[in-house]
Amino acid sequence: MDVNEHEVSPATREFGCEQNLLSRPDGSATFIQGNTNVLAGVYGPAEVKVSKEIYDRATLEVLIQPKIGLPGVRERAREQCVRETCEAALLSSLHPRSSLSLILQEVHDDGSLLACCLNAACMALMDAGLPMSCLFCGITCVISTEGQIITDPTLQQEKESRAQMTFAIDSIEKRVMMSSTKGSISVQELQEAIALSQRASERIFQFYRDSVHRRYSKIQ
Amino acid sequence: MILFNSFRTADPLEYHKSFLKENCRPDGRELDEFRTTTLNIGPISTAEGSALVKIGNTAVMCGIKAELTVPPSDTPNKGYIVPNVDMPPLCTSKVRSGPPEEQAQAASQFIADVIESSEIIRKEDLCIQKEKLCWVLYCDIMCLDYDGNLLDTCIVALLAALKNTQLPKVTINKDTDVPEVDLLQKSPININKHPIGSSFAVFDNTIIIVDPTGDEESLATAVMTLVTDEEGRLCALHKPGGTALSGEKLQHCIGRAATRHREIMKLVDKIIESMKK
Amino acid sequence: MKDTPLSNCERQFLLKTIEERKRLDGRETYDYRNIKITFGVDYGFCMVDLGKTKVMSQVSCELATPKETRPSEGMLFTTVELSPMASPAFEANKQSELLVKLNRQLERCLRTSKCFDMESLCIVSGEKVWRINVDVHVLNHDGNLMDAVSIVAITSLSHFRRPEVSIQGQEFTVHTAEERDPIPLSIYHMPISVSFAFFQQGSYLLVDPNDSEEKVMEGLLVIAMNKHREICFIQSSGGIMLLKKQVTRCSDIASVKVLEITELIQKALEKDRKARKDDDKFSFAESLPKEQITAQKLKEAPLEKMDIQETASEIINKANISPSTQGEHSPVLHAGGVGQVGEGITSSWGLEEDIEEEGEMEEKTTVKKTKRKGDVIVISDSEEEDIVVLN
Repeated sequence: MDVNEHEVSPATREFGCEQNLLSRPDGSATFIQGNTNVLAGVYGPAEVKVSKEIYDRATLEVLIQPKIGLPGVRERAREQCVRETCEAALLSSLHPRSSLSLILQEVHDDGSLLACCLNAACMALMDAGLPMSCLFCGITCVISTEGQIITDPTLQQEKESRAQMTFAIDSIEKRVMMSSTKGSISVQELQEAIALSQRASERIFQFYRDSVHRRYSKIQ
Repeated sequence: MILFNSFRTADPLEYHKSFLKENCRPDGRELDEFRTTTLNIGPISTAEGSALVKIGNTAVMCGIKAELTVPPSDTPNKGYIVPNVDMPPLCTSKVRSGPPEEQAQAASQFIADVIESSEIIRKEDLCIQKEKLCWVLYCDIMCLDYDGNLLDTCIVALLAALKNTQLPKVTINKDTDVPEVDLLQKSPININKHPIGSSFAVFDNTIIIVDPTGDEESLATAVMTLVTDEEGRLCALHKPGGTALSGEKLQHCIGRAATRHREIMKLVDKIIESMKK
Repeated sequence: MKDTPLSNCERQFLLKTIEERKRLDGRETYDYRNIKITFGVDYGFCMVDLGKTKVMSQVSCELATPKETRPSEGMLFTTVELSPMASPAFEANKQSELLVKLNRQLERCLRTSKCFDMESLCIVSGEKVWRINVDVHVLNHDGNLMDAVSIVAITSLSHFRRPEVSIQGQEFTVHTAEERDPIPLSIYHMPISVSFAFFQQGSYLLVDPNDSEEKVMEGLLVIAMNKHREICFIQSSGGIMLLKKQVTRCSDIASVKVLEITELIQKALEKDRKARKDDDKFSFAESLPKEQITAQKLKEAPLEKMDIQETASEIINKANISPSTQGEHSPVLHAGGVGQVGEGITSSWGLEEDIEEEGEMEEKTTVKKTKRKGDVIVISDSEEEDIVVLN
């Protein structure tokens, strides 16, 4: 791996995923982006608490567990982002009055954690066989102090950057489903980052496709 | 009229859609029109700075409290700002008493992110003496009445309250090493950037409206908040999920946010000026 | 969500197979399931798979003030977390009986057994010591959590390295990993717990029960021991009467198992140490099972950056051509410190009558200015609106 090359041109790190690795959840997946690793588990559709019941669709709960300590406000904000992205993708009206829960466990954070959470969530939802209107993926972009846009940054690159953006892109029209930014960004930079993320998303969706293809390759 | 109101209760989504089809909204606004924004700067005399903001029926009060403290060891030349958004049960029937719910927590995190990203105040300005003494600003934002668009209202309240904040002069006595506060000499803090937010809601996956009310927020398929500063740079593009939007649509929203920014800036400036008289 | 209960026929079937000295997964009575130990990028991270049971642990350290009673000793805090991922019966942030039991047992296993040198964690006596935190997360629950938790905790403690500290008088500096190599904790011994499940009033026993076996068992005996055959703690639960002979037999079995597991941990640690020495970069992707069709990998690759800037500029320009339909509102001042912008819907603050006419407004403002600054004028004409809202 040439470190310098990664710094100058936008790239995606090594991806890895494994589905169905936990026996208890209805769907599970681990997603790896370089050294960043997130484990996801999905339960549902199952019975729902009366207080949380929604009469025309399923109730989705998302929990993000940090590696050290208890979840805080930062995790709450991330949970909200992941939950609303999943809600938009899931056809939850097919399972009214039921509960879906998605639990994400941070295994190692080396940058692009929220993006990795989104990818792991999508893989786990696929593994659980829940009906979805589209797939989604997460991409983080940072703008370095020299004004370079770096996709899928490491933790070090995130720390050295002056702005950071995470997008969720849908698989049908490659539009922006979720956006979360940090730092001040010019409009030109934003549009460039969106365009880059859309390009990177194609690779992630191809990766999804390849993994699913491989998984069902033995089924006649 | 009765029929109309029962329509609203029976099928709120269809009720809203029937308005949006005609390019207007149930409260008479156009799709890209904000509600009346009312701003009162300095209503609380005991706080260092305060502001009361009303966008339509959403009312938010922000109070700034300043305290002296030792700077954190990792950034010895910076003070710090602690924002907190509180949504007490009185602001809406959806909130129950108890620990803060997700919306309030997410709003607190968002405001903290905006302060960080926009550099609304240079944190170095809050430092009095390196490694010894600095200001910590507690920004308590209280939602008094909730009818949608909490984030925009909070940002305007925060900005106005910070503009109103006066800090007393503090000198450190060289002999005793004890800080001395001169309450008679007060000076305003230097506001570095002026972030202003604009919220949008997406209806029915296609129609974008600005400044959603509480009803509209709960029926919309996505909500988004854009925060811009005076140079037209984005401090935050917060879209926690929901319907996907293309780059073109986002660009349109950014344009609307810029207009809104100028509008609110003029309002804040005019009010600050009026208070000097 | 509720856990799926075991049906009566399943229960009877399980008990019958145990009587026939058979186990559903094909193990012998004294067999452990496969143990897999994985390390991560950080020091002190470890993941253990005990059959399908999966746990992970991260050890971290921070500076803290010591306890008054033990001013020259470091501190050890262990937290076990039953992630809702592990089983549908687990709820987030809920203190269940199982969680309390696991926490208490792990504490006894590590802290009370004094398995590592706490005094070496002292920096300035009575002022600054290292506080070691062990965060254990249960990721998948398929029985025998205690053994998995004890293995993962002691392995990650042995793997962990803390930053070096140099002391000059009362001043001390903490060195980063780049400045000086971090140092490991001095582990005296490795307490490892071994669980025995008892059936039919103690007449049958199984080592390392899985989830379904745990559901039908009558009693559980947990023995934590190190490889020197020293018992660190022993716990019997489930209210079953055991003979002295049975307990000694269990401790004999435990000593064999502990020896095996310790060896396995040492081997795994040694392998990781060697890999780090050779600067063989660890990657999670390498640890994925290669033959399984559920796993997939993709190498790092650059992205085409061409025409990104053009696309972005095009979008921006296009949006700028179409002018905003919304005109800009001018602010209206009501009194010193109070202003308004936009004339959308009526506000129930009752200031709307002021914005009817610009000229009239001017007059009113002058009148109001005589009032105290920042005063909000309340005009109660909102009754009518209130009714509308109520509908």
